Amino acid sequence: MRIVEVVRAGKKPFKRAYVGIFLWFTGRAIQAAATVDEQVRQEFASLPDDFTFSLGVLPDGPWMLIGKEKGRVKYLGGNPDGKHLHVRLAMKNIETAFLILSFQESTALATARNRLITEGEVPQALAMIRVMDIVEVYLLPKIIARLAVKRYPSWTFGRKVFGRIGIYTRALLGI
Amino acid sequence: MNPDSIFTFTCPVKTNSGNKALENLPIELSSLNAGKPLIVTNIGKVGRTAIRTLTGAFGDSGMTLGVFDGLADKVDPALIEQLRTTFIEEKYDSIIALGGGTIVDSAKVLNLAVSMKTADVQSLSAQTSIRKSLLPLVVVPTADATGLETSQLADLNGTILSSEYLAPGLVVIDPRLTRGKDGKTICATGLAALGLALDAHIGAEKNPFRKAYSVAAIHFIKENLPVAVRNPDDKKATLAVINAAAMSGCAFSIADAAPLHKLGQVFQEVHNIHPGIIMGMCLPHILGDYLNQGRNDLSSLLHPLTGDDEFTQTPEAQRARAAVAVLNYFTADLYSALGKDMPQTLKEAGVPPYVMEDILEVLDADQNGVYLHTVVERIQDKTPVAERKG
Repeated sequence: MRIVEVVRAGKKPFKRAYVGIFLWFTGRAIQAAATVDEQVRQEFASLPDDFTFSLGVLPDGPWMLIGKEKGRVKYLGGNPDGKHLHVRLAMKNIETAFLILSFQESTALATARNRLITEGEVPQALAMIRVMDIVEVYLLPKIIARLAVKRYPSWTFGRKVFGRIGIYTRALLGI
Repeated sequence: MNPDSIFTFTCPVKTNSGNKALENLPIELSSLNAGKPLIVTNIGKVGRTAIRTLTGAFGDSGMTLGVFDGLADKVDPALIEQLRTTFIEEKYDSIIALGGGTIVDSAKVLNLAVSMKTADVQSLSAQTSIRKSLLPLVVVPTADATGLETSQLADLNGTILSSEYLAPGLVVIDPRLTRGKDGKTICATGLAALGLALDAHIGAEKNPFRKAYSVAAIHFIKENLPVAVRNPDDKKATLAVINAAAMSGCAFSIADAAPLHKLGQVFQEVHNIHPGIIMGMCLPHILGDYLNQGRNDLSSLLHPLTGDDEFTQTPEAQRARAAVAVLNYFTADLYSALGKDMPQTLKEAGVPPYVMEDILEVLDADQNGVYLHTVVERIQDKTPVAERKG
């Protein structure tokens, strides 16, 4: 007599798609911000020449990879297999990723709640979090970005508007 | 407390608590080298929604789970042996107990049976030597808990198995599962946790580590149980009560020397009544006896119950009496809030005379039987606790 029901873990396609698209666009936006924004450029300048960073969801992604190649910051796609990573920032599950990336929880709060796993040098991981905070401020309207970052910065009108135009254009074109 | 005194303390339980805590299960299991868990529960006690919430939390993990929702109200050795066979044949590698009380006792006994290759569950006894780690056991408590889920004890229908390896490696407390279906359920859970924490706090086996857990548990219960009883749907309050239950289980260790626990356990075994209901009835009587006899360090209870201000303002000689008064007022307030829903005497609880005979027979066999017998006589049909308020 079979007394135990076998259940296969279900899928969460909507949340997975949302997180995948968010990471894809953020990756391209970080590449663009490294060209457009001076502060982001300086953060990357302090990192090693072959620096590679990934942000994603355990156990099976989606992932986003950012790396430095010949001094340029590039979005390296979503497949971390076989790549040497200096820093890996992993969200523990897709629900956590959705909470963070839909701005229901800030990165700082999620870290305090032990929702993220950081592998690699802490100063390098913190540099990448600062970069992502800057990119989120560019990409999102203030009312949403305030939920995502620890402190909303007071930038000049010019930096915000021209930076936003530059980053959106470059991210959409992939340059 | 003298820090030079000799003591040991072990708490192998990792706790994951809060919003979406269940979703951490796949990664927590993988850190325990487990990838194919067997979920055991009692659908009559936890409900279908709780099972669906738990299995849904594994979404996108790619894992395969076994779900058995037919556990009995008591630990059923024949059923455990059947589950043991399935566990081994289907190559499960860990156990998740969804619920509290006997559900977790069954899971602990099953873990023992599969880990120690014990085909005959009936052969397990208090003398069974458990000297090595068992398979990963995860407890996901619901509102209907007893506090003993996180303890190092397993109750096999009156036979108490004890080992640090019986304690779960992980307890996951998620507010989606801790909301009570009624005030009585969460009240019984809170009173059971309070009883265990009090036993640990003032018992002979107290030590600084045990006290750290018991102080936190008593404080959580005092602050949150009245809110949870009045609104069993309150996520924050019920989550705090279940956290307190988990802490009280970690603080508690010596079953024999704890009269509150013993009374709750015997009534649960013989009449299947929640131990918290019995512990709530007995609490004022036992604490009153301690106070009159000058036994146990009752004065140390005042601080977790009232906080810094009242503790420091109360003269040292009056702290024990003040602590008992606070606890009496606290329990009376809970009973007032629930009215007739929460029995205050054994008569109201519907314990029939023939069952009472069985219960008294079991209690008389206990080393502390004479005293326990007198406590039971006092709660049979006497002044309800709520009338003592104020």
